[in-house]
Amino acid sequence: MTAPTLTATGVPAGDVHRPPGGIRRTARPARAREAALGLLFTLPGLAGLGVFVIFPLFQAVYLSTRGNDILGNPTRSVGLRHFHELLTPAFGTVLWQTLVFTVLVVVPGVLLPLSLAAPMTQRLPGMRIFRTAFALPFAYSVSAASVVWLIMLNPGVSPVNWVLGLVGLPAPNWTTEPGWAMATVVGVTVWMVSGFNLLVLAAGLAGVDEEVLEAARIDGATGPRQFVSIVLPLISPSIFFAVVTTTLTALQALGQVQIMTDGGPNGHTRTLVYSIFDNAFHNNNSNFGLASAQGLVLLVVGVLIAVVQFGVLERRVHYR
Amino acid sequence: MRTTLRRVAVGLSLAALTATAAACGSATANDDAAGGGTEAPAASALDGKGEVSIDFWHAMSGKNGEALQQLTDQFNAKNKGRVKVNLQFKNTYDDTLSAYKAALNSGQAPDVVQVYDIGTRFMIDSKSTVPVQSFVDVDKTDTSDIQPNIAGYYSVDGKLYSMPFNTSMPLLYINKTAFTKAGLDPANPPKTLDEITEAARKLTVKDAGGRVTQYGFGAALYGWFLEQWTAAGNQEYCDQGNGRDGRGTTVKLATDDHVKLLTWWKKMVDEGLAPKLDSNTTTADNAFTAGTVAMTLESTGSVGGFLTSTQGKFEIATGNYPKINATDAGGPIIGGASLWVVGKGKDDAHKRAAWEFVKFLSDKDVQATWHTSTGYFPISKGALETEVDKQWVAQRPQFQTAITQLQNTPLSKATQGCLLGAMPQARKAAEQAMQAAVLSGTDPRTALQQQEQAMAGPIKEYNQSVAG
Repeated sequence: MTAPTLTATGVPAGDVHRPPGGIRRTARPARAREAALGLLFTLPGLAGLGVFVIFPLFQAVYLSTRGNDILGNPTRSVGLRHFHELLTPAFGTVLWQTLVFTVLVVVPGVLLPLSLAAPMTQRLPGMRIFRTAFALPFAYSVSAASVVWLIMLNPGVSPVNWVLGLVGLPAPNWTTEPGWAMATVVGVTVWMVSGFNLLVLAAGLAGVDEEVLEAARIDGATGPRQFVSIVLPLISPSIFFAVVTTTLTALQALGQVQIMTDGGPNGHTRTLVYSIFDNAFHNNNSNFGLASAQGLVLLVVGVLIAVVQFGVLERRVHYR
Repeated sequence: MRTTLRRVAVGLSLAALTATAAACGSATANDDAAGGGTEAPAASALDGKGEVSIDFWHAMSGKNGEALQQLTDQFNAKNKGRVKVNLQFKNTYDDTLSAYKAALNSGQAPDVVQVYDIGTRFMIDSKSTVPVQSFVDVDKTDTSDIQPNIAGYYSVDGKLYSMPFNTSMPLLYINKTAFTKAGLDPANPPKTLDEITEAARKLTVKDAGGRVTQYGFGAALYGWFLEQWTAAGNQEYCDQGNGRDGRGTTVKLATDDHVKLLTWWKKMVDEGLAPKLDSNTTTADNAFTAGTVAMTLESTGSVGGFLTSTQGKFEIATGNYPKINATDAGGPIIGGASLWVVGKGKDDAHKRAAWEFVKFLSDKDVQATWHTSTGYFPISKGALETEVDKQWVAQRPQFQTAITQLQNTPLSKATQGCLLGAMPQARKAAEQAMQAAVLSGTDPRTALQQQEQAMAGPIKEYNQSVAG
């Protein structure tokens, strides 16, 4: 902002034909023009933001205070009734399940790729193939992954159950036992986010300076000590990034829940976004009012998590 | 600076995610009923209009979609220069209906739309369609060829609102090979819950380690099945004469029959005679075709798929849909989907063109082709008499059960099926109760009562919403 405008040749624009003593007269229109130009450049961005973020936000607030006719059109004002409807044990369960789901996805979803990425930075033959293979789940769409896993765990044809049978373990009811259903949906989500996180963390590890590690070794820090005290702080920006994006992914999770369990059995895998989808679109519902109210709850949850992550976690991140 | 930017970026993306999740799909109100009306235009509406192009939104995927494409091509070739139908696949029935609702608000509605049976009340209340009956009256069409049980579902006050298209009934499917092996008679499959239990005890096979390799019975906890059981017992599923004498106000979930059914189902699971399955029919289908369960419930539409995927592995046979009590004297509801002619915002030529297409699809020869290429039950009595259809059924005796079952089902309000604006939600509520009772061990009556109460709100809201 403070740097003078440069022309293509690198000479400050104002210096070319600046009449002596005339700085004041030309500077003001130039600055106004600059501001206008700046505004012009940001306009597409602002327009996008306005249409896709700011307008929907106000729309959500408006809709959350309205009833809906059978086509989903907003009708009369219902005040805060939709928010009142959220004060039930059922919605509390949904929030609790969302929290459980998010924690169970984020923690293993970052730790697992980290434990895979660490040995993968070794320069061994064939490592590239492994890296590609492990990162592959990232390329799956949510629906494709869900359908594939649903077949993998289908009680009739499950290869997973077959393997469990070989080692003499009983096959659980993957999607029909309340506890297992959550574990299954979590597992598939972890499997999906791991690929991307592996790429991020492996890139972070590859960027660690050999010289720093060598210096650490000379100082006597080797093995686990070196990893915890030297490597982890060095790749903390990557870890932080992985944590934030995985949290967002977990909060947004819908496809795997809808396809694999449809919120079931008996609502045990209902999460906040699934609930929004359910009220707004599922089963010929068109309760956009209630869905918007839940959407605003999601906004608050998201902001709270962002505050915690950026206020607490980021303080520990070491940016080089 | 970098930190602030990131903070803002994440904050904004969170806001964006929330806002779009909450507000997408909500459209601005659009109340002007341009054109519209429920008057059916006569055939002359197409005169001098050139080729009228109409859109048809459907939910037929895979093999069924291909068959529909062929029939549409046939129609287009026959009506060249007059009517041209553009097929648009809209994914599932649920998605099709969602898209239709959004389209009504934005004025982008198709001319013909395929809607599942449980969307019937909603479609009538949307006031956006021309009842098929109006066209029938204008044309003086003879509708006696339509199976009365099928027309029954889509008729209210003796008026046919939409044209049934792809219809099916539930059947009991059995693994014939497993039956013979267990010393049971596959020609005489179980007819009641008790008989299923008895057969299932003989059919359940365990390996040396005590693990079940073949369950006697296993079906999806699908709400449709519960509705079918109710009709098979000649009971109404919702009040006001199954929603046909007036607007239904309650779904009768917590009935003695339902409690008996869920108690039985839970016991089957506890005894190890049935696996724990959820409401996903695909999962249950796979369990049957893989030989993991020896008896299952599915629609007639699955005959073809089952025959293909069990070929070379084992033989299958069918039986009538079982009854809760031996004395039950009803029969299953014939469900599926029907075709609606859209009137809102359409001119006479489009309405008429839409009807021409719908009429074509109900023709007996077309229905015979449809039946034999998809396995759906033909809506036309005459279709079953065509040569191609007779041959097809002769090769698939499994389907004969469905024909006999339909002929033996008395047409009553119970077997017509429940009409309710909130029927899709009611089906989901039934599934919740079934899952609670069978999978999470909730007391069946409590589970059913909870869901029945939970449905009271949505039904009331719906009824208020359409009342004015």
